[in-house]
Amino acid sequence: MTMTEVPQEQPESPTNRPPSMHRFKNWMRRPYARHVMIWTVVIGFLLLPLCWLLLAAMNQTGAPASEIMQDIETTVFVFTLVSIPITAFVFAVLLYSLIGWKRISSDEPPMQESPAVFTNRIGVVLWTVVTSALAMFLAVWGMIELAQITANSYGTISANEQPGENQSVIVNVTGQQWVWTFAYPQTDGLVSDVLYLPVDKPVYFNVTSKDVIHNFWAVELGVKIDANPGAVTTAGVTPNKLGTFNIRCAELCGMHHAYMETEVRVVTQEQFDSWVREMGGGRTS
Amino acid sequence: MSSVAPALVHSAEVPQPAQHGKPGGIMRRLNFGTGLLGGIGLATIAGVVTSQFVPSGYSSPVTFAPMEGEYVYLAVLLGWVIGFMAGMGAFVGPMRWLLGRENTHVDAEYMAGKDLGRSRYWKYTTDHKVVGIQYLIVTLIVFAFGGLLAMLIRTELGVTWAEVFSPAFYNSIIGTHGIAMIIAMIIAVSGPLGNFIVPMMIGARDMAYPRLNALSIWLLVAAVPCLVSSLFLGGIQDGWSAYQPLASQAPIGMLGYQMTIIVFALSTGVASVNLMTTILTMRAKGMSWSRTPIFVYGIFAAALMGLYAFPFYQYSQILSLSDRVFNTSFFNPLEGGSVWLYENLFWLLGHPEVYVILIPTTAVLMEILPVFMRKPLFSFNFAVAGIVGVVALRGLVWAHHMYMTGWAPAVNYPFMLSTEMISIPVGFLVLVVIGTLWRGTSWSRLPLMAVYAVIFNKMIGGVTGIYLSDVPADQYFHGSMFVVAHFHYMLMGAGFFGAMGGIAFYFPKMTGKILDERYGAIGLWTVFIGFQLTFGSMFVAGLQGQPRRVLQFDEQFAISNWISTIGAYTIGVGTLIFLGAIIFSWKDGPMVSGNPWASKSLEWQTPTPVPLENFAVLPVVTERPYNYGVPDPYDEELRAHDGDELESAGAR
Repeated sequence: MTMTEVPQEQPESPTNRPPSMHRFKNWMRRPYARHVMIWTVVIGFLLLPLCWLLLAAMNQTGAPASEIMQDIETTVFVFTLVSIPITAFVFAVLLYSLIGWKRISSDEPPMQESPAVFTNRIGVVLWTVVTSALAMFLAVWGMIELAQITANSYGTISANEQPGENQSVIVNVTGQQWVWTFAYPQTDGLVSDVLYLPVDKPVYFNVTSKDVIHNFWAVELGVKIDANPGAVTTAGVTPNKLGTFNIRCAELCGMHHAYMETEVRVVTQEQFDSWVREMGGGRTS
Repeated sequence: MSSVAPALVHSAEVPQPAQHGKPGGIMRRLNFGTGLLGGIGLATIAGVVTSQFVPSGYSSPVTFAPMEGEYVYLAVLLGWVIGFMAGMGAFVGPMRWLLGRENTHVDAEYMAGKDLGRSRYWKYTTDHKVVGIQYLIVTLIVFAFGGLLAMLIRTELGVTWAEVFSPAFYNSIIGTHGIAMIIAMIIAVSGPLGNFIVPMMIGARDMAYPRLNALSIWLLVAAVPCLVSSLFLGGIQDGWSAYQPLASQAPIGMLGYQMTIIVFALSTGVASVNLMTTILTMRAKGMSWSRTPIFVYGIFAAALMGLYAFPFYQYSQILSLSDRVFNTSFFNPLEGGSVWLYENLFWLLGHPEVYVILIPTTAVLMEILPVFMRKPLFSFNFAVAGIVGVVALRGLVWAHHMYMTGWAPAVNYPFMLSTEMISIPVGFLVLVVIGTLWRGTSWSRLPLMAVYAVIFNKMIGGVTGIYLSDVPADQYFHGSMFVVAHFHYMLMGAGFFGAMGGIAFYFPKMTGKILDERYGAIGLWTVFIGFQLTFGSMFVAGLQGQPRRVLQFDEQFAISNWISTIGAYTIGVGTLIFLGAIIFSWKDGPMVSGNPWASKSLEWQTPTPVPLENFAVLPVVTERPYNYGVPDPYDEELRAHDGDELESAGAR
């Protein structure tokens, strides 16, 4: 912070006002400004792996088994990516304040005081514009994704319309303390405590509860909806991967809430049909 | 006695009402002991009478738990609260007024604890400094209670191979931990600091309504035993949110929770009105809004939001209690009630309440920063704008807790928008904080260390919050451990660390001693490390898909839970060290001057210990707060080189 670092020659401009690029360059000549910028970039890159690490943790039990879950993971990825620059900047200032700018640890209050910067118009405006733009982007992204997920949940059929017999599977999900039951109304009264679904076929869930509020969470399918007593809520999904996945209850529902879990088995259409016959469902199709 | 005691107001003698008996009258005999006696006495009488004359409970259709003793417990709770408040002397004022015996000046001085020594802390004392200390003690007790329960929770979750507690008891410690910590965090800053510091900060002699001040703290004290007793009567087995109809299945301990909330909301309402009136009407001469310190804004905002939010909570619990005891059906879907109505009422409290906790803790760190950076608060107006923005949007975001309820899928869009929008004013506050750090020479003392911790935690809490504000991402995270980690980063990471910083900062003013730097810092950083371990790995558990409020889980979550438990014990150890530092510094710490931090704000200009009525002569404010710092050397250089360019030079 010596005199030599301040530009000695001013640009020759008739208005006597340095162009903004020049002012920015002048500002960047200050050592702390340069350092904080470099640290921001370094910390940003250090945080960057989080984008993938978060997804790795989410995928620990198995990769997404539906388009909905893929959309959710894309959202998580994008949100992480977008929030890294701001986070990195704040952390850089924090760290630089701890070890970059001067630090005093005497018992007496320091008499040598810091610059009396009351505000900074450009800084304030820049911050407001950037954070607002990011917040707007996240909101718009969220809405588009939500519309997408809603469309994926219900296909082209609107939520309150019952879909056709052969194009889809309807499952009535009932939560009660502390088991899930799955009824298949398209069959002759088939009821199961493990959810069987055919792959690549839209499924519609009508979810309700017999006692308290539960939450039907098919983890890898990306389905989550409350099971309310006295009301039917709807959700839908098209599983696109064969395998066995988790169903958990995600709303505290009493003593054995922790054990209220079961499985969803996504199988081929033939296996599904034979399962229905085995269970005495006598599938109509 | 019929002599007229004169009081000096504006150098004029005003006639006083006649003095009856000794100063204070019956208040001389009443203290915490008589309060306990009155409470226990009336509770016993109410319990016995109810058990003799009222038929025992019924069984509602959704109820599996026996309801025996429901009426008795309710009567005992009511008896306790009313008896305790009567024994403390809460009804003496109104009674005297009805009898036509108004308080004289001497009475008022007695009530404020003049010449009472330590016993004033055990009485219905009106002095705001006494109330502040009482709040501090209650906060510490409730916090210790909640912390102990947190240790039990983590023990259960760390021991992955067995059930340590029965599921019922586990659920009830989860609920009790939740509500105890919520209460502790709500009062942590607004209680001790709001009462002790704010009147001094604005240059007032006391709060606007001193007796309401005493009422608010003793109502809070009356609420605590209700909460603790519920743990022994089956507890709160439904989380602190007490969703219906699960809450009506819970054993009678649930009544303890409901009574706690009803009384606590009353206490908060009284305190809010008092703080707001004080701030609006009693600021010193010359303290215009732009000369009012930011902490005062923070407390005002918290009081305003509290006054908006807590009635929802109180109503929801009154209706819930009525469902339970009188078999009404506000929330029972089998009899025409609605579970969604309860959820809405609850979250109409639930989200503003988060800001009731966060805004004062943010404001207190904005108060700390200028003093320790020796520079003005960066962009004071922006800080005010941030607080105003949060206050404006507080009531428009509650349903983001209900994205997955299926209540009204269409409203997910506007609530997602409003929730993303509230991050903009919160961002203003972040800018003010890092702008104040910018180029500052830091004087690294304990309060400043807490500020660094808060900013770090708040950043993580804030960023993880945007995932939860987004409906698609929330579809995965809702109801998982991710949520738990997020709100602990906010409420504990910002709230608790902010409270530690605030208490360390104002400790010299409140006690006359300085909080031991060394042990305070060891405690703080131990808590910090433990905190990152606990809740960092809880994020991982959430990402892996562990639901919250479970006592057993799949094997894949074991490692993150073990780390969490180790971290939780570290937090426990750190908190004990910090508590030890508080207690020992308070008892035998070195005395310090009235203004050890060389702060410029009003509260530090009083002598320590602060005399009754704070200021001998009321101060007059002539400049903006935070006038620290020297002229910017870069500006000086610019001025030297480029005369009139200074005003428009943005390149600072």
